[in-house]
Amino acid sequence: MSFQAPADGVLLPPYRVLDLTGPEGVFCGKLLADYGADVIKIEPPDGDPTRQKPPFIGDQPGPERSAYFLFYNTNKRSVTLDLESPQGLDLFKKMAASADVLIESFPVGYMKTLGLDFDILKTDNPGLVMASITPFGQTGPWKDFLSTDLISAAVSGFMQITGDPDGPPLRQGNEQSHFPGAQHAAVAIMGALFYRDMQGGRGQYIDVSMQEAMITYYTDAHPALAWMQNGENVTRVGTNSTLVIPLGAYPSKDGWISAGIITPREWENLSRWMFEVTGNEEILNEDYKGGNQDRAPYNDIITALVIDFTTRFTSEELFHQGQERNLVFIPVNTVADLLVDPQLEASNFWFDLAHAEAGTLKYPLGVFDSEEVSPVTKPAPYLGQDNEAVFKGELGLSETELASLRSQGAI
Amino acid sequence: MTGQAFSKKALAGTRVLELGPYVALPMTGRILAAMGAEVIKVETNKVLDEMNFIPAWSRGGGQPEFQRGKKRITIDVRTPDGLEVFKELVKVSDVFMTNFRRNILDRWGIDFPELRRLRPDIIVMWQTGLGGIGPYYTYKSYGILVQHMGGVSLMSGEEGEPPATINTSYSDYHTGVFQPVAIMGALMRRRLTGQPATMESSIFKSGALTAGPALLDFQSTGRMPQRMGNRDPNAAPHGVYRCQGDDRWCAIAVQSADQWSAFCQAIGNPDWCGEDAFSTLESRLANQGRLDELVGEWTIGQAAEDAMTRLQEAGVPAGLVSQGQDLYEGPHLKAREFYRPTPFYLADRSKPAWEWEGMEGISSANPPKMTESPMDFGHYSNIGEDNDYVFKEILGMSKKEVDRLKENQSLF
Repeated sequence: MSFQAPADGVLLPPYRVLDLTGPEGVFCGKLLADYGADVIKIEPPDGDPTRQKPPFIGDQPGPERSAYFLFYNTNKRSVTLDLESPQGLDLFKKMAASADVLIESFPVGYMKTLGLDFDILKTDNPGLVMASITPFGQTGPWKDFLSTDLISAAVSGFMQITGDPDGPPLRQGNEQSHFPGAQHAAVAIMGALFYRDMQGGRGQYIDVSMQEAMITYYTDAHPALAWMQNGENVTRVGTNSTLVIPLGAYPSKDGWISAGIITPREWENLSRWMFEVTGNEEILNEDYKGGNQDRAPYNDIITALVIDFTTRFTSEELFHQGQERNLVFIPVNTVADLLVDPQLEASNFWFDLAHAEAGTLKYPLGVFDSEEVSPVTKPAPYLGQDNEAVFKGELGLSETELASLRSQGAI
Repeated sequence: MTGQAFSKKALAGTRVLELGPYVALPMTGRILAAMGAEVIKVETNKVLDEMNFIPAWSRGGGQPEFQRGKKRITIDVRTPDGLEVFKELVKVSDVFMTNFRRNILDRWGIDFPELRRLRPDIIVMWQTGLGGIGPYYTYKSYGILVQHMGGVSLMSGEEGEPPATINTSYSDYHTGVFQPVAIMGALMRRRLTGQPATMESSIFKSGALTAGPALLDFQSTGRMPQRMGNRDPNAAPHGVYRCQGDDRWCAIAVQSADQWSAFCQAIGNPDWCGEDAFSTLESRLANQGRLDELVGEWTIGQAAEDAMTRLQEAGVPAGLVSQGQDLYEGPHLKAREFYRPTPFYLADRSKPAWEWEGMEGISSANPPKMTESPMDFGHYSNIGEDNDYVFKEILGMSKKEVDRLKENQSLF
């Protein structure tokens, strides 16, 4: 265990974190590693399954080339060991005895079958902080249910509020279920370390349910409260809101633009601008004035007029000219737009990381910008690249022992 | 009062000063409060947080989610007296966090170098919508739209259809839950090195980060992520299927040969399950349209909960698309005591908050369940409820002085 000062320009102390997670928790270790923790990813001897996840850099498959793996494992180290072999298990226990943090996302009960439940690990290491990130948490009638990104999006209720009201519920793209549980776990781990090292406390166990974490990511819609108070179920609104008019995504000359007109003053500004541009007096209709609820009966006609207006501009033109009129038009960006966005560039969002197989790519690392502290900038590890440093250098194994473990397939 | 029986809280002894409305910043404050920090939230009755009126059907009912556990006080920092009181609070705080843009803070006379002179070791978290540094630093934004800016919405939705919007300020939550990690880290670092830190974050950046793998893929292959609805290139059936009742759906994700045979068995091995057209993942993907119809013919005769349970018991990933009633009354979240009763106050622009009517609502527990330093569910104060404690006990202001500043509307 270490409670050492962070290195110059780094946020976190070099806490030792053992990362056994799959996709459910992989972002937790990344977040801690990006800000300075010493995160060791423990992979089975044939590698973490996400190393085989497409797409691959340059469309050439290979365990060091998965875009998913490269993104979610920056700044981690990698060792291989087979938790289900006696030798591998023994090595793991040695590592756990001196670790600050252990994160895992196995099915509930799996760690216990290996003799690695928290009650056992803490006898050797009372300061250990252990966090489990699982689809439904460690308790409750659904705790053993299987999940995937789609299932998590469904049971959290996110899908109920995404998509067209006349169509099926939709999931978000890009596996968004991999963030909320992992982020909440990182918060709890920091709190637990703070409690241990700054308040003189012991280690502890943390149970995070992805379902609960995801529910907290849309509480401004709050379907449970709507049911409790009004007996109504909240549903989908499509691309454009029916509560705030206009609010949503509209076609522009070169793509999509999103707009949100919330105050009566903003409506005045927009309707005057729309009239100047289109010459259509309909938009100045007195009935449309006021707060956004006042426009609800005229949603269809207003939406048609807005589209007639937005399609006369590029998204960039609406974004900047809107701000001059105190109106919020926000571009609907593609990944290509993000990579050249001047705002992201100016606030040190991107860091070039050089990886021997994947080449040098811009990684989104700077979730906050600071003159005092910056993210660490190591690319994702090669499979088992730190076996020697950890097993020999830190656990004191000899070359012969290491060779024997290799030949038995334990590492 | 869950957690009261336990001793110390992780952040006991840390004071946080919070200035700003909406979702992301208040969420950060709520988490720090649950960890045991004393979070002082500065608001004014003159300009209410719009979140008092969102969701539209419940004026104020959503606020416990964002404000629980805080000491809530009223200061109009735009008045000279109000600004002075605010600066006194800076002197006794460990952390200052705000989500106002620089041009607005400048107008009020709040600038970071001066805050640092008042309290040299203060940790500053400065969060905005689009970013406090860079060409858009004065730009106004709304959180619900920033999900589009960060690249997520163009990956969501059906192929060939407009991007799907989630009816929530989605990217705000990423920001709100990132920030406590950074703030706790900065507090530790200050203890160990004596160094303070100022950190700038934005909803735009947190949202864009979640596009991660697609950003790397584009740089390497020039490929744009495609909208593919609920489908998956490596699983079939994979989607949501209509069940009995109004707008009821069950999600099903069959990812392997074993799960396919378990699925067929669970639905009673209909003849079509044995067709060559569905025998391998490749063939199921190639015949997905028909497969989805056939699966839907089974689910439409089932209640969504029953379809979920039957498939899960057979070892097939499945889940109902939860509606509000499922979340609030369902057995699993109930067993985990996820929703708990919380008072709130019916927001009304025509009178100060202390005249608002008290109501009973619910809000959600902090997702991490921690064994030694459990996160506190937290008392929900009304706006201004903690004025006396903060002004008199923390700042040592006299009753006369507080009354004078209430009178001239500085503390209102």
